[in-house]
Amino acid sequence: MADLDPVIHAQARLRITAALATREPGESIAFPRLQELLDMTAGNLSTHLRKLEDAGYIDVEKSHKGRTPVTYLSLSKTGRRAFEDYMETLRSVLGTTS
Amino acid sequence: MTNHDTGGAAPADHDIDHDDEPLAPEQMLALLNDQQRSVQGQMGGFVPIIMLTWGVAWLVGFGCLWLIDGLQPEFGIPLGLAIAVFCVLIAVAIGVSTFLGVRSSRGIRASSGSSFTGAVYGMTWWVGCLAIAGFGGALAVNGMDRELANIFYPTAYVLFSGVMFIVAGAIWRAVPSVVLGGWTVLIAVIAPYFGYPTHYLVLAIGGGIGFLGLGIASIIHLRSLRAKTSGTASATASGAQSRG
Repeated sequence: MADLDPVIHAQARLRITAALATREPGESIAFPRLQELLDMTAGNLSTHLRKLEDAGYIDVEKSHKGRTPVTYLSLSKTGRRAFEDYMETLRSVLGTTS
Repeated sequence: MTNHDTGGAAPADHDIDHDDEPLAPEQMLALLNDQQRSVQGQMGGFVPIIMLTWGVAWLVGFGCLWLIDGLQPEFGIPLGLAIAVFCVLIAVAIGVSTFLGVRSSRGIRASSGSSFTGAVYGMTWWVGCLAIAGFGGALAVNGMDRELANIFYPTAYVLFSGVMFIVAGAIWRAVPSVVLGGWTVLIAVIAPYFGYPTHYLVLAIGGGIGFLGLGIASIIHLRSLRAKTSGTASATASGAQSRG
């Protein structure tokens, strides 16, 4: 599967990008909510998010809700395009159009 | 990115090793679809409760207004009691919708554009409701009697609600909301032709059917999402095992 983007082509990172792609561009999800939606451990999620961030696929924004720090995550433009390309490649590999 | 809000949780090494591997392409596509359905199901899980709450509020609330005179002289609910029940039910439905809506969107930060759209849409409900009250007052000043006011107010509010459901469907690309809105506008226009007090019965049954129908449809939709999700999840798991 040389054509499939290796950053996304791993179970955890595919699940993360797929979940973030359900939101409109510009919308972001707080780390604890994303963890809940994905049912992943905080450490596991954090590790894979770091790989996605290193590739420039996600935007990470640290903010505060009252006095509590909150990290918001969203797909970057590059990430959204990479996810769409990944889906397209996957479907062409499988010979499906939908 | 050096530190998320992990609360100091240590990475689960076993999970990372396993999750870092790709599956076969068809299993990856299934995993992708599965995850998106799961998120949609989790984000939309509150919709049936809101729809069923509004269905009961309309059915019982407008039903009570109909029962003031609808079955006279055999049976009748005092005017004050009927209005009180109606107001309490609508207030409860608004409260339930607000609570579940806020709960569902926790941890989600909208873009500035969609925040503006949502705020304007929310404010439009208040503007419209107050405007109808003002308009009704003006009609009363110009000679609208109590019988006609009994027709005007419920029709105007139901009509406005229907239009707002259509607008919500257009903004958030939700076809069921457009259908509900169209149906609500239709019953708002038809009900007055039945005259007082039967128009309340038409609104009770018509509105109740609309909301309860949509509530049941959303339960079925969410169940099918869950069924597809668990189906692909088990297929993916068995695929992973066969690979291992």
